[in-house]
Amino acid sequence: MSEQARVGIVLVSHSSALAEGAAELAGQIGGGTVLIVPAGGTEDGGIGTSEAKVRKAVLAANAGAGVLILPDLGSSVLTVRFLLSEPGALPEPVALADAPFVEGAVAAAVAAAVGGDIKAVLAAAEEARNARKL
Amino acid sequence: MPESSEAAITLTGDLHARPAGSLAVAAAGFVAAVQIAVGDACVDAKSVLSVMALGATNGQQVVVRATGPDADQAVAAIIGILAAATPVGG
Repeated sequence: MSEQARVGIVLVSHSSALAEGAAELAGQIGGGTVLIVPAGGTEDGGIGTSEAKVRKAVLAANAGAGVLILPDLGSSVLTVRFLLSEPGALPEPVALADAPFVEGAVAAAVAAAVGGDIKAVLAAAEEARNARKL
Repeated sequence: MPESSEAAITLTGDLHARPAGSLAVAAAGFVAAVQIAVGDACVDAKSVLSVMALGATNGQQVVVRATGPDADQAVAAIIGILAAATPVGG
């Protein structure tokens, strides 16, 4: 599993700082071998989401094995769904995860780090819905 | 009959987020099923969120069990990571 391309991860948030912080945290826990790209905030740095930022992040995160996209909530989901509906907007394969933002990012980072494919990384992120903190 | 292995260690640090990540990444590299147990709780070592949820802290005993062809190596690797855990903040 050492040389194969790993699944990349894009963290979509309304807040640039939230996306960047979650990417930093998940990267550290996952051991730093996975491309985790934040796509937070609007193009002018405000709170919101940007199709262009998300698209750019997905292209940057794709090492050839596909990209898992994890949105925080609300319009993050709508923005990703819009891009998924546009033919050719995103590379294949991509998957949209229905998972808590921090736990999902951490679980996905570990699954990608150990060479899981896009289905395995998506499953790991979505299993985080059932993970208890205490 | 699959090979199995077990060892225990008393933590000298806390099993916080980063060591939990290292542990899950290392465990996933083995064919063997690997479990770690603290008290009555026992979780899949390959699940980072489950390992974190154990909330194992300095002074607690952790038991590592593996079943599979590389069980011995898996237990040795996981014990090594647990031995290196440092107190929270480290």
